[in-house]
Amino acid sequence: MPHFIRGRGKMLAIATLVVLLSIVPLLGNNYYTSVLLIIGIHAIVTVGLCLLMGYTGQVSLGHAAFYGIGAYIAAILSKTYHVDPWLAMVVAIIATAAFAFAIGFPVFRLRGNYLAMATLGLGIIIWILFRELDWITGGQSGFLDIPTLSIGGFAFDSDFRFYYLVWGFCLAVMFISQNIVGSRMGRAMRAIRDSESASQSLGINATLVKVKILALSAAYAALAGSLYAYYVGFIDPPPFGFLFSIRLVVMAVVGGLASIWGAIFGAASVRLLTEFLHPFGDIDVVLFGLIIVVVMILSPQGVIRGLGDLWRRISRRLTPS
Amino acid sequence: MADILQMKGLTKAFGGVIAVNELDLEIHEGEIIAIIGPNGAGKTTLFNLIAGVFSPTRGQIFFHGQDLAGTNDYQRARMGIARTFQDVRLFGNMSVLDNVMVGLHSRSKYGMLSAAFRLPQGHREEASIRLTAINTLNLVGLGQRADINASELTFGQQKLVSIARALATKPRVIMLDEPAAGSNVLETQEISDLAKRILEMGITVILVEHDMRFVMGTAERVVVLDSGEKLAEGTPSQVQNDRRVITAYLGEQEDQI
Repeated sequence: MPHFIRGRGKMLAIATLVVLLSIVPLLGNNYYTSVLLIIGIHAIVTVGLCLLMGYTGQVSLGHAAFYGIGAYIAAILSKTYHVDPWLAMVVAIIATAAFAFAIGFPVFRLRGNYLAMATLGLGIIIWILFRELDWITGGQSGFLDIPTLSIGGFAFDSDFRFYYLVWGFCLAVMFISQNIVGSRMGRAMRAIRDSESASQSLGINATLVKVKILALSAAYAALAGSLYAYYVGFIDPPPFGFLFSIRLVVMAVVGGLASIWGAIFGAASVRLLTEFLHPFGDIDVVLFGLIIVVVMILSPQGVIRGLGDLWRRISRRLTPS
Repeated sequence: MADILQMKGLTKAFGGVIAVNELDLEIHEGEIIAIIGPNGAGKTTLFNLIAGVFSPTRGQIFFHGQDLAGTNDYQRARMGIARTFQDVRLFGNMSVLDNVMVGLHSRSKYGMLSAAFRLPQGHREEASIRLTAINTLNLVGLGQRADINASELTFGQQKLVSIARALATKPRVIMLDEPAAGSNVLETQEISDLAKRILEMGITVILVEHDMRFVMGTAERVVVLDSGEKLAEGTPSQVQNDRRVITAYLGEQEDQI
């Protein structure tokens, strides 16, 4: 079975990735560590978006909202109400998933462009709430002094420590997602993407599957959001706005919409590009628009798959037949 | 013979256009019945009404004597009403085997949690899903093509996969929408044989088809629809010689045949 052969190469690639990831913080460069840490957090959100957009075929232009809800719930519970940060994180994940589950039913009455507009609007509404409910969220001036996570006496209070925590979660999320995609649920998701009417004719409740995947991806986003809040110790509305939603879509597209591990590559590309372009202001936004267009035209299955195809084509041409 | 499906005064209007009009029709359990009629006679609309894609404007549909009102398409699929589509609608980015395995979705139940953490229940079910899907694929003669992408099959093969996919739901009745359209003589014969094998499995078969030779060689009973109304009903030869049927197909011309 070709799937299995590819699986072997994939395992090797994953092992390499894990080794590389564990080495980086040991280099002792805090900048690299923190950049990679953020990439890990973003990759967690991106995987969820890939499940929703790439595998189930449902667009979301408002995923930053779930990321933000997770961050704010974790921050507010742990700081304002002195809830244990781990418990606050669990509550944040469950509450965000429940919220996504509830709004999923009306939202998925819509399809295509209308769905995109609805999620866009939802993201903006939530973002405004973060900004305007200032007696809870701190509004524009932000929410300060969020406690950090700790196990027993061991606090995740340095980049070095938090790094391993984030990537531990990230890899767990990757494996879980990979398992789901390869399961009965994953088949139903792809079936809905390819033909919703045919999937329903086979007894699949398409709306329920979509809503479940939305809830799962919201749970991932909330996990990432709470990790972000605990890591930075401070949150304010801008990172959870519309632009971040778009950036998430770029990450998913670059990594390959229907590719779990590609999410890491996508998150890394976008983050690194943003870092490099930082001195030039907001030019990265323009570039991201361009990237989406180019990737969708040249290699809709993602940059990695595209490069693989290119390599195969070149090597075929170079081999004398 | 007991009726597996009963339509009573079934009517479907799209705005001012009446696609199915006051239709009374019984489908007997364990028969192959063909529904024929000129284009726009309401055949596919009837399928969509039975499958629960449309809800009727008026009238009722009974399945094993139970009123189907208030149930939707995926619920009816789970109750045992399967269908194929005129335009096939395979899952084009999935393997042939995966397409058939999707058909077993509602006949298995392990959920996201078992999948996420690879619990034994999922493993067990997955093994049996795979085996059943391979067997079903062999039934339509495409076992050798299990691992290729569904979109790489010929049109005729795609139709067969869509039948296998529908059979995988373990239906009591299957509706085949133009199964022989676009097929050559040999393939048409294979599909006819397949329909009879499906019947032998205890599944009632309803066909919509334009190929008259196929219909006459496959169906035991034929219902003719015209403008959403039942024009004639009977054995293939009865229907073939019915003057109203000839008129509906060929227009008002005396001494035509």
